[in-house]
Amino acid sequence: MEEKRHTSSHYEIELQEIKNGLIYIGALTEKAIQNAMKSLSERNSEMAHKVITDDDEIDKLDAEMEEHCIRLLALRQPTAIDLRFITTAIKVTGHLERIGDMAVNIAEKVIQLNEEPKLKPYIDLPRMADLVVEMVNNSLDSFIRNDLNVAEKVRQTEQITDDLNEQIFRELLTFMMENTKCIHRALLIMHVSKNLERIADHAKGIADMVTYMVTGENVRHQTRDDSAKEPA
Amino acid sequence: MKKNIFYKIFFGYLVIICLSFFFLDLFVRDEVKNLLTSKIETELFSYAQLIELNSSEKIAKQLNQLAKISNARVTLIDARGKVLADSEKDAAVMENHLNRPEVQEARLKGTGKSVRYSSSIGIDMLYVAVAVKDGREITGYVRLARSLRDVQNVIERVYQSFFLAMIIVGFMALVIALIFSYSLATPILAMERFTEKLRQGHPVGTILLETADETKKLADNINYLVEELQSQIRLANEEKSKLMTAFTSMTEGILILNAEDKIEFVNQALSNIFSEQYGDINGKTLMEAFRNVDLQKAFLDFKQTRINVSCEITLGNIEPVILSVSISAVHGYPEEEKTMIVFHDVTRLKKLEQIRVDFVANVTHEIKTPLTAIIGYLETIKSGTTVNNNDAKRFIDISLKQAQRLNRLLEDLLVISKIELGELQFRFEEISLRDALEGVIPLVEAKARLKKINIHDDVGENMPHIRADRDRFAQILVNVLDNAVKFTSEAGDVYLEAVQKDNNAVLSITDTGIGISKEEVQRLGERFYRVDRSRSRDLGGTGLGLSIVKHLMIAHGGRMEIESQLGRGTKVSLFFPIHKA
Repeated sequence: MEEKRHTSSHYEIELQEIKNGLIYIGALTEKAIQNAMKSLSERNSEMAHKVITDDDEIDKLDAEMEEHCIRLLALRQPTAIDLRFITTAIKVTGHLERIGDMAVNIAEKVIQLNEEPKLKPYIDLPRMADLVVEMVNNSLDSFIRNDLNVAEKVRQTEQITDDLNEQIFRELLTFMMENTKCIHRALLIMHVSKNLERIADHAKGIADMVTYMVTGENVRHQTRDDSAKEPA
Repeated sequence: MKKNIFYKIFFGYLVIICLSFFFLDLFVRDEVKNLLTSKIETELFSYAQLIELNSSEKIAKQLNQLAKISNARVTLIDARGKVLADSEKDAAVMENHLNRPEVQEARLKGTGKSVRYSSSIGIDMLYVAVAVKDGREITGYVRLARSLRDVQNVIERVYQSFFLAMIIVGFMALVIALIFSYSLATPILAMERFTEKLRQGHPVGTILLETADETKKLADNINYLVEELQSQIRLANEEKSKLMTAFTSMTEGILILNAEDKIEFVNQALSNIFSEQYGDINGKTLMEAFRNVDLQKAFLDFKQTRINVSCEITLGNIEPVILSVSISAVHGYPEEEKTMIVFHDVTRLKKLEQIRVDFVANVTHEIKTPLTAIIGYLETIKSGTTVNNNDAKRFIDISLKQAQRLNRLLEDLLVISKIELGELQFRFEEISLRDALEGVIPLVEAKARLKKINIHDDVGENMPHIRADRDRFAQILVNVLDNAVKFTSEAGDVYLEAVQKDNNAVLSITDTGIGISKEEVQRLGERFYRVDRSRSRDLGGTGLGLSIVKHLMIAHGGRMEIESQLGRGTKVSLFFPIHKA
């Protein structure tokens, strides 16, 4: 009896460790996006370089987290919510790692952008960045609190970032048509915007996994189907 | 409780009583029986020997008489066992008696006895036989028999008295047990009720007992313990309330983590800082609550060494809060070591520090720029070799212009410090907004026309009068309008509007210029703060304009508000207090 209680509480500690580790990776990626966007608005290439080097830590932690999860699956053979939690953790850490990579992509483009004069004041881009950071933030919140409402909010915001990306694309297109000299810069900014949009997709992916973890229901393809049907 | 004690005492007594009777019976019963039997035996023997002195014929004749005297059954038996005569039965029908144990014994020893159950009478009988001898030869036996009923009767009587005594003693034991148990149970019961009340947390005084035995001592000890306990509790409560008051009233945020690294306590100040952003953080881990990498790293460092760790963290994205954090151990029982984290909000401090650093850097830079130009040109003129008159005149013009700029800068600085020190004299009067504007707008119109900017003056005649210094009012408006024109591109618009809001006349100047980002709006009004350093110096500002406006507005008892959107334009609202006639 004593022995059993001891092991189960140890098991709980291990689950908590996974949770904490995930939040830690989440915090790192959030910071990476923020710093990448800050390096763009403040034209600070040094900060952009730091984003690129800091990504190594995210990659390393991602690998460790995955191994940790698999070991737990093998040793404890969890069931029901615990099983879903661990499988979700594996997927969430993958999403976070990809988000980190995208922050690196943005930082690389920022370094190139900073070598040339500013094309125009950024208006929609910072707004989009704020939204995306909020989405990542909320998706992690929903994971921590098992909060389906927040997860739903993330899914809804994803559409707005898609629209913003579209808008930025059109705006830059007119710039490029007016002045061929700015094509390079406009394309770089477009890359940044595209990466932000993809980060939003990953945030939505995390929110979907949280819904799966809490309810056991897979909503990923269901919502994609719905949104695909809507325009038709 | 009472019952228990009573039963224990009573049954204890009962056992003792029963045991004593049992042993009494064991020792007395046989003794009494033997004593009585041997007495009868001796008596019978003496009778038998007396009878034996007579001849057999004589005995047979006097048998009934003999039986009467000896109070026994007398039997005369010949040497071969044949019954010759019996005092109670017909001798002819009686069987041979030679093999009876008492007869056998008498044949061998001369006398014999035996106790047997007589089936004919149904009672224990004592038989005594004596051999009748003729010289050496046994000629017959005389046997006497008497029932032992008397012995039985005596014993029964003795036992009756015993039984009576037992009942009396048992009854007494019951009474004594009742008294004892009552006197024992009362103090114990009182103490039990007392401790029960104490356990349930009711207020208790002291326990008073009228006994003088061990229970009294026990009660005294309980009283002492209660007193001790209550004073300890009072002390602990007092300490706790002191600490809680300190925790809740201090401006620093305090957070305590339990042994499992979960948040156990958050004080008011901290929850005020975080409640909006992070919600209820009780019971979460540090990482779940704040999701801050620097904080987590500091905490992990601390956990390894348990030596105090300090760090600085930035929380939040849009409106960052800079916190100085110190982590220290709360010493408790082993395995239950808690952690205390103190958060100190240093955002304002950091901001002020930044402003101070910027100010010194800016002031030296602003002074140095014109001075460098002046010194450069003057040195060229002094060397005198390569300059003709025209060049020298141009150089001197430039130097003069730069010197004037320097002068303007210093004047502006002087104005600000005078306002701040309260040395600037204001002549407040009642002025009409409309009239005041008439005097100011022409001052910037020329410049606006150059950039094809339209100034739309939509201020009505019926605005209430404001309380202001006419010259300073002009200075404020010129500064703001100048900025509006300066930062609006060609063919833009500048709108002037006035509305009355509460006790203020609000004059707003809206332009369609380049706008200012949200973060930078907050810093406008700081001395030498420029949104875009390179551009605004080209446009010929000292970097002190809005700072002066801000200070003058404060001196007027009003305020300045700026709203702006990048690329769309800026709206400056000036709140003037309305003159109360």
